Amino acid sequence: MKRVFQHPPEQPTPTGRKYWRSLGELRDTPEFREFLGREFPAGAAEMEGDGLSRRNFMQLMGASLALAGFGLSGCRRPESYLVPFAKSVEWLIPGKPLFYATAMPRRRGAMPLIAECNDGRPTKLEGNPLHPASNGATDPIAQCSLLDLYDPDRARRFLDGGSGKLEESDGAKFAEWLKTLRESLGANGGVDTAILMEQTHSPTLARIRAELAQAFPALQWVIYDPLRPFNEAEAMQAAFGDGVMLKPRFDKADVILALDSDFLNVEEGGLTASRDFSNRRRVAKAGDAMSRLYVVENRFTLTGGMADHRLRCAAGQIAAVAVALARKLGAAGDILGAIPGVDELAGRVSGQEKWIAEAANDLTRARGKGLVVVGPRQPGIVHLLAWAINSTLGNLGNTLVGLTLPERTPESKSISLLAEAINANKVKNLFILGGNPAYNALAHLNWPALQKKVANVVRLGYYEDETTAAGVRWQVPMAHYLESWGDARGEDGTYMAIQPMILPLFGGWSELDLLAGLLGHEKNDKPDLVRDTFKTLAKPAGDFGSETFEGAWNEFLRNGFLADSGYAERAITLGGGAGAYVTKGAPIQLHPAPTPDALEVVLAGDYKVDDGRYLNNGWLQEMPDPVTRLSWDNAALISPAMGKRYGLDVGDIVDLTAENGTRVRAAVWLAPGHADNSVTLSLGYGRKIVGRVGGESGFNAYPLRTAEPNQLDQTYIVSRVKLAKAAGAGRYLFATMQEHQSMEGRNIVRELPKEIYEKNTGFDEHGRSFVAKMGMDEHIPANIGIYQPARLDGMHQWGMAIDLNTCTGCNACVAACQSENNIPIVGKAQVVKGRIMHWMRIDRYYSTLNEQDEDPQALHQPMLCQHCENAPCETVCPVNATVHSEEGLNLQAYNRCIGTRYCSNNCPYKVRRFNFFNYNERSIQPQESGPFKGETSKLYLGPLGPKGMPEIEKLQKNPNVTVRMRGVMEKCTFCIQRIEEAKIGALRTARDSDNKKVPRDSFKTACQQVCPTEAIVFGDLTDPESKVSKVKEQDRDYKVLEYLNVRPRVSYQARLRNPNPAMPGAEHVGKSIIDNPPEVQSGGHNLHQGYFPGAHGENTGSPARGAINK
Amino acid sequence: MADASTATLPADPAALAQFDPVDIAQVTRPPLVTSGRNMAWITNRVCGIVENKTPLWWWIGFFITAPIAAMTFVLLGYLIFTGIGVWGENVPVAWAWDITNFVFWIGIGHAGTLISAILFLTRQRWRTSINRAAEAMTLFAVICAGLYPALHIGRQWMAWMLAPVPNQYAIWPNFKSPLLWDVFAVSTYFTVSVLFWFTGLIPDLATLRDRARGKYSKYVYGVLALGWRGSNRNWRHYEMAYLLLAALSTPLVLSVHTIVSFDFATSVVPGWHTTIFPPYFVAGAIFGGFAMVLTLMLPARYLFGLHDMITAKHVDVMAKIILLTGSIVGYAYIMELFVAWYSGNPYEWSAFLRNRIAMPLFSDHPAPYWWAYYCMMSCNVLSPQIFWFKWARRNVYVVFVICMFVNAGMWFERFVIIVTSIHRDFIPSSWGMFHPTWVDVCTFIGTHGLFLCLFLLFVRFLPMIAIAEVKGVLDSADPHAHDEHGHDRGHSRKFGYAAGPQREEPLPLVGSGVRRAYLKEVTEHNVADHVSDPAKHQAPGDPNKDEDTGKPGGHAKG
Repeated sequence: MKRVFQHPPEQPTPTGRKYWRSLGELRDTPEFREFLGREFPAGAAEMEGDGLSRRNFMQLMGASLALAGFGLSGCRRPESYLVPFAKSVEWLIPGKPLFYATAMPRRRGAMPLIAECNDGRPTKLEGNPLHPASNGATDPIAQCSLLDLYDPDRARRFLDGGSGKLEESDGAKFAEWLKTLRESLGANGGVDTAILMEQTHSPTLARIRAELAQAFPALQWVIYDPLRPFNEAEAMQAAFGDGVMLKPRFDKADVILALDSDFLNVEEGGLTASRDFSNRRRVAKAGDAMSRLYVVENRFTLTGGMADHRLRCAAGQIAAVAVALARKLGAAGDILGAIPGVDELAGRVSGQEKWIAEAANDLTRARGKGLVVVGPRQPGIVHLLAWAINSTLGNLGNTLVGLTLPERTPESKSISLLAEAINANKVKNLFILGGNPAYNALAHLNWPALQKKVANVVRLGYYEDETTAAGVRWQVPMAHYLESWGDARGEDGTYMAIQPMILPLFGGWSELDLLAGLLGHEKNDKPDLVRDTFKTLAKPAGDFGSETFEGAWNEFLRNGFLADSGYAERAITLGGGAGAYVTKGAPIQLHPAPTPDALEVVLAGDYKVDDGRYLNNGWLQEMPDPVTRLSWDNAALISPAMGKRYGLDVGDIVDLTAENGTRVRAAVWLAPGHADNSVTLSLGYGRKIVGRVGGESGFNAYPLRTAEPNQLDQTYIVSRVKLAKAAGAGRYLFATMQEHQSMEGRNIVRELPKEIYEKNTGFDEHGRSFVAKMGMDEHIPANIGIYQPARLDGMHQWGMAIDLNTCTGCNACVAACQSENNIPIVGKAQVVKGRIMHWMRIDRYYSTLNEQDEDPQALHQPMLCQHCENAPCETVCPVNATVHSEEGLNLQAYNRCIGTRYCSNNCPYKVRRFNFFNYNERSIQPQESGPFKGETSKLYLGPLGPKGMPEIEKLQKNPNVTVRMRGVMEKCTFCIQRIEEAKIGALRTARDSDNKKVPRDSFKTACQQVCPTEAIVFGDLTDPESKVSKVKEQDRDYKVLEYLNVRPRVSYQARLRNPNPAMPGAEHVGKSIIDNPPEVQSGGHNLHQGYFPGAHGENTGSPARGAINK
Repeated sequence: MADASTATLPADPAALAQFDPVDIAQVTRPPLVTSGRNMAWITNRVCGIVENKTPLWWWIGFFITAPIAAMTFVLLGYLIFTGIGVWGENVPVAWAWDITNFVFWIGIGHAGTLISAILFLTRQRWRTSINRAAEAMTLFAVICAGLYPALHIGRQWMAWMLAPVPNQYAIWPNFKSPLLWDVFAVSTYFTVSVLFWFTGLIPDLATLRDRARGKYSKYVYGVLALGWRGSNRNWRHYEMAYLLLAALSTPLVLSVHTIVSFDFATSVVPGWHTTIFPPYFVAGAIFGGFAMVLTLMLPARYLFGLHDMITAKHVDVMAKIILLTGSIVGYAYIMELFVAWYSGNPYEWSAFLRNRIAMPLFSDHPAPYWWAYYCMMSCNVLSPQIFWFKWARRNVYVVFVICMFVNAGMWFERFVIIVTSIHRDFIPSSWGMFHPTWVDVCTFIGTHGLFLCLFLLFVRFLPMIAIAEVKGVLDSADPHAHDEHGHDRGHSRKFGYAAGPQREEPLPLVGSGVRRAYLKEVTEHNVADHVSDPAKHQAPGDPNKDEDTGKPGGHAKG
């Protein structure tokens, strides 16, 4: 555009003569004014004809020249746009996150959460510290559920199958269709309509359901969830009547016997169990009491790892243990009488009578303070037996309390009955809300075929998955719980709000939206339905008094839960027992004893993907299983002795053939501590239609499930299965975080029996404790360095302590760290190569007596950057990229790092992680073509591969943490962003005063915050009163590899075991360091499993000792 | 030895006569240039390699090695554009073939400067006929070596941060880091080696310039010869410069590998953290370097007919050095083991016992890389022991095969030190394995191509034997050659050569057609009677018939 110079208006000269250049100026004619504005006199050549001026011409030419290549247009920096909030959002301070309370609906009740939102997008989830069940803690699944929100593969569109094939549609059209359907339902009361949903704990949903039932009385309600604890619920109802729930009180139990119960897995026991249990295990000083844990299980679980005494036992034979125990204690006579073949059953424990007897004695001694818990995989009869035992021992009402369920969920049909109805052509409209029945419904139902028989299948799904592919009329994208309004009861019954943090990213609907839509409500983004429920729950009378409803509602949202709304405790007595249970219609069937020709297969929920719903969650997929340390896969777990008997090694592919001929193919993983003649195959893997993350991972175990959960057999434990090595199937490559399972006699994880600890408390004259001197650290010669140690004169000195006595190894810290610190996932192939990026890992070691010992004990140890004061990584970095802060942090300057990897080599703890590829910017998917098709990931394509992180994934990133590029080293920073924020806060409150210190224990690192057992403590060491200083003063405190004189800032508190001296094998419990001088212990060698199976040591083992497998 | 032998001899010449001259010849040193070759022959033979028509085998060799060399750069480009992940490294094993190959090539780069500088300072006159090629080999090896530390880093485009560049952030490199010392040590070594090599080349480049017939070659050699005129002043300055550079290079020979060993010795990793590393690495480097010199020189000697200059004595001496340094290395291996055991430190002992020694034969849990350790031991310690026998040192085939073993063994040594130490260190949960990828393998092969290709170019365009220096060890270069009292230099003439030369390798040998054709060309190009008929050798004491007489470059000093 031509710029016309605007002359400033001429000031009228008040006095004096006026000079003029021409008559035109004098007269101020328009021609003269134009002349002044023009660059050239009129008539001079100006390319005006087509709007071109000289200036335009120059501009165009200059621009063309630049575009023509001289400007190297291909080499410019990528453009990016920083868009400011043009209008300030209320409450939002730029750069500061907002925290909102919400809750995550889970199978056993919602988990209270606080969501951290940056610029309107949730970036991190924390437990709700106000809620007693959480106290700020969560579990790995809750942590990782955030990633699901930003999953680029989630269902993003409405699909309409009205024309025979699925076509893209939208929410308005669906709402229209739903309206039409509703009108047609009114005519027949919904008799041809079924609603299939998963277990929910939402009072609003229950209310809507009741209203729907009123409107359409013939509507069929079906609840199906493959991991629903149905056996327990059925037995509970039979034994204690309606509306009762049992709650084990681990905080009150001195002696705990867990029968196939993995209560330390939050999915099974909830956060409360972990917290209560660990509080009874925490030993702050000598003399503190510790509870004792006996575990009977078929495979190592987190709970088994914490056990003082563990008995390997095929899962189907737990009943035999329960029977033997009941007999020994003289309990449950009526139930025992009702069990067919009870004598034979009790005889199956031969060889372990002493174990059971001593456990029984211990339980008897702890009358009223003992607890027997049973896992959800066990048939109802075992639950009944356990309750009877607890009743006999006076534990009912003490360690096992009853809770009153205020609202009773109306009876729902089972999926088998639904299948019958479909086969009878009685279902024309089927709403599938959540779940994935085409993948996980009982195999014999042949769900995909069933689904095709229904005219109108409305699928509300988070993914377009197997169920979508099985044929639907409507596929409706489901909203994430962070996108929708809702409510739920927690495990303890607390009423919680589910608040959306963000509008549905892809216009998804929640279950509530859809059911309300069926009821005739308009879909909106408002919490009206929940408000109505809240109104009735908070003040049933409707009188909020001086506190207005709005005030109460706001407080509810702010706190995230309604105070004192938990289930009330009530007295319980064991009622009808077996009789009532049997009259429920379920014959008491018990699993036959497994033999080498007729094995049992245990179908367990997975620690990571649950029932398969999280299969496309990269964080969960890559997180190693806390016990097997496998990532990206499940495996058929068998004991090493069994592997030897069948000639199987890690990665061998086997066929598991059930009695009915169903065959499941899976690869073998040798799992130390597994019961013989028993195979564990976790559910949830081997899905066919998954997103880009979950594809091709693991083996599908669902085809083996051919019965309803309420039938005793074939639910979680499938008996009479034949195992055969699949001929010509080759070997399966597993990705494991940890190749080596033994500590090699090194004093890395220190454990000792409580008795020995009690005898060796305190410190010697050098200030060293018994624990600090264990193993080769007994004598550490003086160490002289030639370098000046780092200056540590900061106002704070940060440090961490990790109590191995309460750490269960649940992986929550690993997940929290990944979420907080923008840690990328690398994909299975890269994990196989040993390039996992986790800043924090949980090492798991097994200790055994000797190579033949089939009963190892497990030890967990969180390992992260130890922030050594004398850090070996710092001296070797040639470019000063890793340096020490005056507050004792080992810093990593990504900008300065050139990636020599020398620091990693010199790190004794191997906690540094290197970006071998641009994991954030490149695709980790396998190559789709070319010579390395399917074998290597697209990372190897380099610049030829796809580039860029999906936009949606970027939303998750923590803005306070750099997203690292390839070629740089990274590692734990002690959450420096949180430290700095706390320091800034302290500076702000200090103003002009000198008190710039961060208030004591006023903030937490991500791993500390999430830990359900408060095993991790972080804080300022200069403050003698801080939590971490207190913990580090304990005589159980030690530093890993202290002899290296690296002076780590992370210290550990030794693990204590609390064996019962009368138990068989008690003399070896907790003595993995004490009994094994360095380089003599060789027990773990047979546990060695590699990335490349067969390359390493073979598995040896004698017939199992201490196991029930006959 | 010469001094000792002459000291026992009676001073009276008449008394000498009582000794059988042949016997005396056996106790004195054999001549460094055999067959009584004169200066002219040396000039012709060495310059002929450059001036004659390129032999067919050279082209074949070049067209094999050049694409392999090119492959290195393609793969390094792939590495830079994609990431270090294309190699097989992971977290316990963050260094693998990259640093293994770096240390391997740096080690090879030791022999050249050792031969040139240390042997020069210690007046080892036999060095003259091999030093040029050995030095060239050094440079090429250092080039191959230098690729790795420069490109093994994660962000190669930031490698400049290793340089102490003053910047506005006042961030300096970390002078505590051995890796930074490496940067200085290797770059200094390379610079000085280039200077030293080039300085030594100047008189010979002048010879080539003077003999050059092509316009361009005359120009190029003329520029490179820096105006050398062969004057007394030229020679004086040249020799002073050469001596100074030799003195400068000598500590570098020792320092480079010492500093490379610090990469490991100053770390905390069991298996690396060892005080014996500096001498052990230097010995190993000389060991491997000499093996590589022989690996290159034996074929070159054969192909170019250089037996009179690179004589059996040279091979013999180098074999002895290999034996010596190989035994030092063997001692170091054993001492390392002893210290690991004696220290009582389970981590150290585990690094040796569990990571290296434990083999399937006597351990239920063999070390994953046991085979690498035993490869190293047998190639480096056992195989050179055959050089205790003279027949082995005198048999070029045996020498060549042993040298190949040593080359392989020295690579394994570095692999063992680097990979087997870090793949299982302190925390067993982090133990891992290293598996090379095709990029690792092809890059390493590619550096061999680069090395050989550069060497081929070198032999084709530069005098591969130091003409002037070899002439310096001729009798005719010795003013006292005719002096009966010149015991040191004259003995070979008096007792050895005059009594009849002992020619271990008759020339021409029956060789391949290619070689025969080549020799024929050489013969035709030069004066026929120099080469074609060994019987027509110049009689001792004849004036040197040098075609280049009067040309400055053709004359030996003195």
